[in-house]
Amino acid sequence: MNRRRQAATAWLFLSPAVIFFVLLFFLPIGNQLLTGLYDADGVNFVGLDNFTRALGDPEVVHSFLITLGYAAGTLVVGTAVGLGLAVILNQAIPGRTLFRSVLLIPYLTSVSIIGLLWRNILDPQVGILNRLLDQFGLPGQTWLSTHPLATIVGITVWSSAGYTMVLFLAGLQGIPGLYYEAARIDGAGPWRRFFSITLPLLTPTTLFVSIIGLISTLQQFALPYIVTGGGPGNATSLYAHRLFLVAFNDNDFGYASALSVLLLLVVLVLSLVQLKIGDRADAAH
Amino acid sequence: MPALSSLDRRSFLRLGLGVTVLGAVGTGCAPATPKSGSTDSRTFTIYWNAGHAYKAYQQVIDQFGKDHDLVMNWQKFQWPDLTTKLTADFRSGNVPDLVEEVSAGTGTQYGLDRNVLALDDLAKADPGFGFPDDFITAAVSARQYEGKTYSIPLHLTANGLLFYNKGMLSAAGFDQPPATWEEFLEVAKATTKDKVSGTSLNSDFSYSAPFYNQQNVAFSNVSAKQFLEPAAAARVALQYMQDLVFTHKVSPAPVATTDYSGPQKLFSAQRAAMFLSGPWDIGPIRQGSPDIDLGLTVPLTGTTQSASMAGGGLMIPAKAKDPKLSWELITRLAAVQTELAASKEAGMSMPRKSWAADPSVASDPAMGVIAKALAIVAKQDVGLSASGKAAQINELYKKAYQQIIIQHAPVEATLADFRKQAGAAL
Repeated sequence: MNRRRQAATAWLFLSPAVIFFVLLFFLPIGNQLLTGLYDADGVNFVGLDNFTRALGDPEVVHSFLITLGYAAGTLVVGTAVGLGLAVILNQAIPGRTLFRSVLLIPYLTSVSIIGLLWRNILDPQVGILNRLLDQFGLPGQTWLSTHPLATIVGITVWSSAGYTMVLFLAGLQGIPGLYYEAARIDGAGPWRRFFSITLPLLTPTTLFVSIIGLISTLQQFALPYIVTGGGPGNATSLYAHRLFLVAFNDNDFGYASALSVLLLLVVLVLSLVQLKIGDRADAAH
Repeated sequence: MPALSSLDRRSFLRLGLGVTVLGAVGTGCAPATPKSGSTDSRTFTIYWNAGHAYKAYQQVIDQFGKDHDLVMNWQKFQWPDLTTKLTADFRSGNVPDLVEEVSAGTGTQYGLDRNVLALDDLAKADPGFGFPDDFITAAVSARQYEGKTYSIPLHLTANGLLFYNKGMLSAAGFDQPPATWEEFLEVAKATTKDKVSGTSLNSDFSYSAPFYNQQNVAFSNVSAKQFLEPAAAARVALQYMQDLVFTHKVSPAPVATTDYSGPQKLFSAQRAAMFLSGPWDIGPIRQGSPDIDLGLTVPLTGTTQSASMAGGGLMIPAKAKDPKLSWELITRLAAVQTELAASKEAGMSMPRKSWAADPSVASDPAMGVIAKALAIVAKQDVGLSASGKAAQINELYKKAYQQIIIQHAPVEATLADFRKQAGAAL
C-alpha cells in the first residue's frame, strides 16, 4: 500500500468522527462565538465588548475563581481517593469485586438523583445525617451553610471516586509484576515501590484522569444548582451557573455566549498545559 | 501529500485526544437545543407549577382534551425550571399552548418582549367569563401595563399569614397568637426549647417581603431607580430577621435551596411553633399532620400591618398554535366552579369576587383570614416587570438576603451593595 493510499484509508476511517464533530460540536462552537459578538437581543454587532465586559464583571470573576477552587479541590482529592481505592482493591482481598461494583454505583447514578439525595442527607433541619447524629447525642452539622463549596467538592469526589478507581485499576493491572519483583529483590519497601514504580508508570492514566476531570469540573452546573441553588449568597455559583443566569435570568444570550467561549478557551489552555506537563513527566521516566 | 503521509500512530492519538477534548468542552458550551412537545397539532401542551397540580385542574384538563379530541401534555415544573424552559422555548419558537405564570408581572415582562399575547381582545369577545369585572382589582392591575393585560389571574394569595401550633403556644402560656413584632419575638423565645424552634425563616427571598412591607418599605421604584427604600426602615426589617436567627436563636438558619417548603416541613414535624407563609401551605399541613391544632391568623404589624401579594396567572405564548383554544381552557381553569373545587381540595385562595362571595368560602375560617390579608397587600411596582430586569434584580436580592440570613453578613453594607448593583442593572 503506497503512502497516498494509506492516507486515503486513514481519512476514510476518520471521516465519520470528523463529520460528527464538525456538525455537532465545531459548528455550534462557531455559532457561539458569533453570538458572543452581538448584544443581548442578537441584533447589534458589539465586537469584543462582551468578552472585555466579562473580565471586569465581579460576579463572573468571583464565579471563575470559586470554579478554579472547586476544580482544584475535586481533582486533588478525587485523584488521591481514586488512586487509594484502586491500590487497595488491586490487592487479593476477599470481596474486592463486590467493593469495586459498589463504589462504581454513584458514578452510574444521575447527577440529579445524587443532588437530591445529598440535599436530603445534609439538610441541617430535616436531613437524615443530623437525625442520626442526634441519636448518638452528637451536635448537628451545618455544612451546606458554613462550608458549602467544600461540601459540593466532597459530594463530587464521592460520586466520581468509583470511576477514577476503575481507571487507575486498569492502569495498575497494566504494570508488569516483574518490576515489583525486581524492586523487592533490590530491597525496596512498599512506599519506595509505590513512588518509584507505580506512580511513574501510572502517568498516562493520571494525565487522562486529570484532563477529563478538569473539563467536567470546570463545566459543573447541575450538582450545585440542585443542592444549593448557587447559594448561600453566591458561594456555590460556579462559572457555568453564572453563565446560566446570564442566559436564562438576564436573557442576555450575547454575553452568555461570550462567557461560554471564554470557558472553552480556559479549558483548552489548561488541558494543553496538562498535556505538556504529562509529556515531560512521561519523557523523564 | 507530506502532511497526510505523516499520520503515524502518535499523530492519530494526538488528533484523537484533541478532538475528544474539544468535543467534551463543546458539549458544555454548545447552545441548548430545547425540545418542546407542541409540534403535533393534536397535542396541547401546558406548563404548570408542580405544587399546583390539583385534581380539580386535572379534571378540567382531561375534559378539555376529550371535548376537542386533543392529547393533553400537562408538564409540571418547579418555578425556576419552568422559567428556564420557557425562555429556551421563546428563543427557539417552539412554545407550549398555555403557561402558568410564576407571579403577577411575569406575563407583562414576556408580553412587552412580544413572547406572550395581550388578552384583552379575547376577554372582551367572551363577556360570560367576567374579566375583569369579576376579578379583584389588585390582581388584575398587577398584570396590566399601558392598557394591556398579559395574563389572567389564577390564584390570588397573600404571603405573611401567621401559621401557629395552638398546642405549643398554649403550653408556653399564650392563649392568643402574636400580633406585633415584639409579641412575635416574645412568643418565639418562649416556645424555643430542646429541639423545637419558636419560628423558622425561609431561604426564599420572597418570604422577606411581608417583613419589609410591614416597615412601609417598597422593594422597587423603577422610575426613581430606587430599591428597598426607605433605607433605614429596610435595615430594621432585615436586621429583625437576622436577629431571629443569630441573636435570639429562635429560628434555625435556613439552608440555601430552590425548595421553599423548609419551614412548613419543620412546622409539620412539630419542630417549629410558628412561621409566616401563604395559603399554599395549608393543604400540606392539614394532609400531612392532621394531629396538629393549626392556628392561622392575619399578618403581623410592624410599623404597619401588611402582607405581600402572591399568586400566579395564566398566559398564552404569542406563537401558540391556536390562541382561541388556549383561551377556552383559561376560561375553564379560571371558572368559579373550578376555583371552588381547588380551594376545597388545597385551601388555595382565588381572585374572583364571586368566589369570595360563595357561602362555602365566606363561612370558611381560613378563607376569612386570607381575605383580611388580601385587603392589606402592599402595592406592587409594575414598572419593575416592564423594565425586563425583574429576574436579574431578584437574583441580586436573593444573594443579599441569603448573605444576611444564612451567612450573617452585615445588614447595612449588604443592602447598600444590593442597591448599587440593582441600580446598575437597570
